[in-house]
Amino acid sequence: MARRAQIIPPRPDLRRKAVNYTKGFDLKLSPAMVEKLEQVVHKARDNFTTDIAGRLVAMRKALREIGEAEGGDKSVLALIYANSLEIKGAGGTIGYDLLTAIGKSLNDFVTGLGELDRRRTDIIDLHIDALYVVLANRITGRGGPTEAAVLKAFSAVRAKFKDD
Amino acid sequence: MFLAKLQGSLERPRNGARMPEKIDFSKVSFLIVDQNKLSTQLIRDILAMLEVSRVRSVTSVERARNVMRGESVDIVITEYYMEPEDGIDLIEWVRTGIDSPDRMIPIIMLTANSEEEYVMRARDRGVTEFLAKPFNVEGLYRRLVSVIARPRAFVNIDDYFGPDRRRRQVTYDGPDRRRTD
Repeated sequence: MARRAQIIPPRPDLRRKAVNYTKGFDLKLSPAMVEKLEQVVHKARDNFTTDIAGRLVAMRKALREIGEAEGGDKSVLALIYANSLEIKGAGGTIGYDLLTAIGKSLNDFVTGLGELDRRRTDIIDLHIDALYVVLANRITGRGGPTEAAVLKAFSAVRAKFKDD
Repeated sequence: MFLAKLQGSLERPRNGARMPEKIDFSKVSFLIVDQNKLSTQLIRDILAMLEVSRVRSVTSVERARNVMRGESVDIVITEYYMEPEDGIDLIEWVRTGIDSPDRMIPIIMLTANSEEEYVMRARDRGVTEFLAKPFNVEGLYRRLVSVIARPRAFVNIDDYFGPDRRRRQVTYDGPDRRRTD
């Protein structure tokens, strides 16, 4: 029989230490403070785009060297998983929502994938191409109808070839 | 007596209205656990803007354990995806490890592994707050406010030790429904 849950009251020490009525930041940030914090993120944008470009190069190189890679397809897929996850997480943070959307599409595609064949490699390549285009043309936000159509096409391709 | 009166006068203006609460982040220490150095630096920069002065960052769960064993940490911000151990391993150790230095420390998971299965896994291991990457500064700030100003009760049951997972407390007036009740 399951024992009854023991409820432990909230611990007050951190609140007692940091919350007061005179010094610090309001619980709800003022628009001016939000803007200041967003400036911090904005300043990091160049570093992030350089980092993402490096990740695209690494993924492309790994795809070109399939067959030579120690660990075979699995190590290539692991590398693409890790890099696409980082791109998915970073893109929208710095205003490149499309990088996040395409990065997520690529990450979803390789998640759980055990091996690569020609078609799957092409699909990954197409994702990398699309990420390059977004980065090179500095397409911030979610893009327009063309970008929406590309994402829709990736979705269809994922559904068709992931478990093929 | 005098001090209590003084404190009261600081807390409330003369018309009796309660002054808004503030958070003094300079009193709070953070540990960031993430293998992505850019992401770590961005969080550090945001925390610095909030006047946080004590931030440690590490790139592995093992190093996080070492820091927490040796230093006082108030809040952990961790990525989910790490190797060889991931953010879930860290949460499990903090909440249930026999050598955990503080089983009730607030843990914020900040990760691109944001699909429902990851959120549920983190929640069921005892994460305090979950924030999906890409994130915005207001989202991060809200999580910080939540863990500092509105700490949650903890639940200790057979297979779970962590913050109360029920976010919305609804009064229930009906009969007990468990067979054991």
